[in-house]
Formats: sequence, C-alpha cells, structure tokens
Amino acid sequence: MHGEYKTRGGKLVVADFEVRDGRLTGVRVSGDFFLEPPEALSTIAGSLEGVPADLSEEALAERIRGSLGDEVEMIGFSPEAVARAVKRGVE
Amino acid sequence: MSAGERWKKYEWRLIRGEPVDPPVNVALDEVLVRRVGSGERPPTLRFWERYRPEVVIGRFQSVSNEVDEEAARREGVDIIRRTTGGGAMFSEPENIITYSVYAPLELVSGMSTVDSYAFLDRWVIETFRSLGIEAYYEPINDISSTNGKIGGAAQARRHGAVLHHAMLSYEMDAAKMLRVLRIGQEKISDKAIKSAEKRVGPLKRQTQLPREEIKERMIETFSRMHTESGLVEDSLSPEEMAEAEELTRTIYGTREWIYSIP
Repeated sequence: MHGEYKTRGGKLVVADFEVRDGRLTGVRVSGDFFLEPPEALSTIAGSLEGVPADLSEEALAERIRGSLGDEVEMIGFSPEAVARAVKRGVE
Repeated sequence: MSAGERWKKYEWRLIRGEPVDPPVNVALDEVLVRRVGSGERPPTLRFWERYRPEVVIGRFQSVSNEVDEEAARREGVDIIRRTTGGGAMFSEPENIITYSVYAPLELVSGMSTVDSYAFLDRWVIETFRSLGIEAYYEPINDISSTNGKIGGAAQARRHGAVLHHAMLSYEMDAAKMLRVLRIGQEKISDKAIKSAEKRVGPLKRQTQLPREEIKERMIETFSRMHTESGLVEDSLSPEEMAEAEELTRTIYGTREWIYSIP
C-alpha cells in the first residue's frame, strides 16, 4: 500500500507498507523532508511495524513520537505527517 | 555578534571545483565537512562541476518515486543520492550552479535550522539582487524569485561542522527534466512542460550573464560580505581527493547507497 501526504510547507511524506492480519508490515517512509540524525528514519519506520492498521492517526503519531529521542530533529515534517501518509495508504 | 562578524572570524577558502564523476561530488562533501569539523581545513566554499548529467535525489527519497530509471538510462543520466535531505534535482553540467559551504558549527550556533538556511544563503540572494533579479528566500530551503523558483538548499550538521549546499538552475530543459523526473502524477504533455517552465525561473531567463560570470559575481559577493580580505584560492589536496575516491568506491557510488530507499 502506498500513501502520500504533502505538508503545509510543501514537503512530501510517502509511506509504503503492507497490511497482514490487520497489522502494518514492511513499512518504508520516504520523502523530501529533512531529518537529523538520518538514521532516525529507520526508527520512525520501525515504530509502525506490527501496529494495527486501524489505529487512529493520533495514535500512530503518538507511536512515532514516543520512539524518537530528544536529539532527533524533524524538519519540514512531523509524526502527524507520517501518520497521515500511512492512514491515506490504509484507506 | 553581528551576522557579518560571525563569518569574518574565519579565513574562508575557495575551491572552484574541477569536473568529477557525479558521485564523487557527494563523497567530497563528506570529506570536506569532516575536515572542517576536525580543524584540518579552514571553512570552505566549494563549487561543484561534473562530467555528466545527473539526477541528485535527497537522502530520504525513494528512487522509483522520483526517477524514471528507464528514461534516465536512455538519456545517459546518472542517479546519485545526497547525504542531505530535500528534493530531487535534474542537473546537466552547463545548466546548474552547485555550491557547498563547510563551516564550523559555531557559525550557526544559537540559530534554528530553519533560520540558518536563510542565513547561509544570504550572500546568494544578495548576488542575484545585485544582478537585478528579485530573489528572496522561501523557507525552509527554496531560493526563489518573482519569476519562479531558482533553486533549493539542503543542510546537515555532522562531524562537528555544518554542510550547506544548494543547486541553482541556470538553464532548464523542461522536456528532458520531465522525462527523467517523476513530478507528481503529471503526464509529459505540452501543458506540463509549460507549467514546469513557469514554476522555475532559471538564471539565464533573468539575466544576460553567462554561467561562469554569475559564479564570479557570487564569489565576489561572498568575499565582500563574509571575508576581511577576500576568499583564499585553494584546491583539493591529493589526500582529500583520494579519500573522496575511496568513499565513492565504498559508499556513494554503490548501488547499496543509491538504492538504500529503492
């Protein structure tokens, strides 16, 4: 499944994944945003792995936020933007 | 400390950049930002030149979402991945001006990332205004003008230094760009080509100056705004070039890196 969300600032967030037994799997997040440190991208994707696909956007965003340390800087996107891209893919 | 004083603390070096294979430019960014971070090299402004056309995609972009790989192969366009985030740019050697600024973190200390983008490109906006182009910064990272977008910047703070680079459109072959880049869901129609041409305001459409002359004006403006006695002409050391070639072989030129997000 494939979902895209363009943030108000114009950055694109893309989520590609599969849903197996009602859960997200093989999650990949990509886009033209900025993220420091870059390795945090796999933390973001990893925080969505195995998560029920029918979780609300807010709950998905909370999952992502909770997985990231204080040192992570998301520029031009947010946990909410990733959650919205995922939800668009699910729907 | 005023903005001018922040820059003028350093003896800035200038590397005019010989043409290299596309991924070597990405490797050079890592080599030089490391060296500036460790104090082995003074803060530096480097211009990129390349042998072949390329699509440079952002660190977090998916190749297949951004590039028509079959078309890229057909057109002889290399696909490379930057170390920084941001969007894809199509670049032909004579159509793009690319530069990197390597500076100690101190230059942007206390500034938010978003503010530092505009701060690090102020000299570029100033150059364009002096050429009569109504250029302005469009946060986060776009260098724009009343006649369309000119280019985009990307930044990373790594290895104790800041790497800030930008690609500026000098001339644009919109039809070729649309064949190679997947821009939204647009089809390659005359309408799409016209609309791409309208959104982008390449420098050649806005000034009579040749590309090399614009580069010179940029160098002059940087020297005047940010240095006490001008940029110091410099070149890559053999060690720096050797390191970049090694990083190209092991990382930036490999399929694993370029297709890290397929």
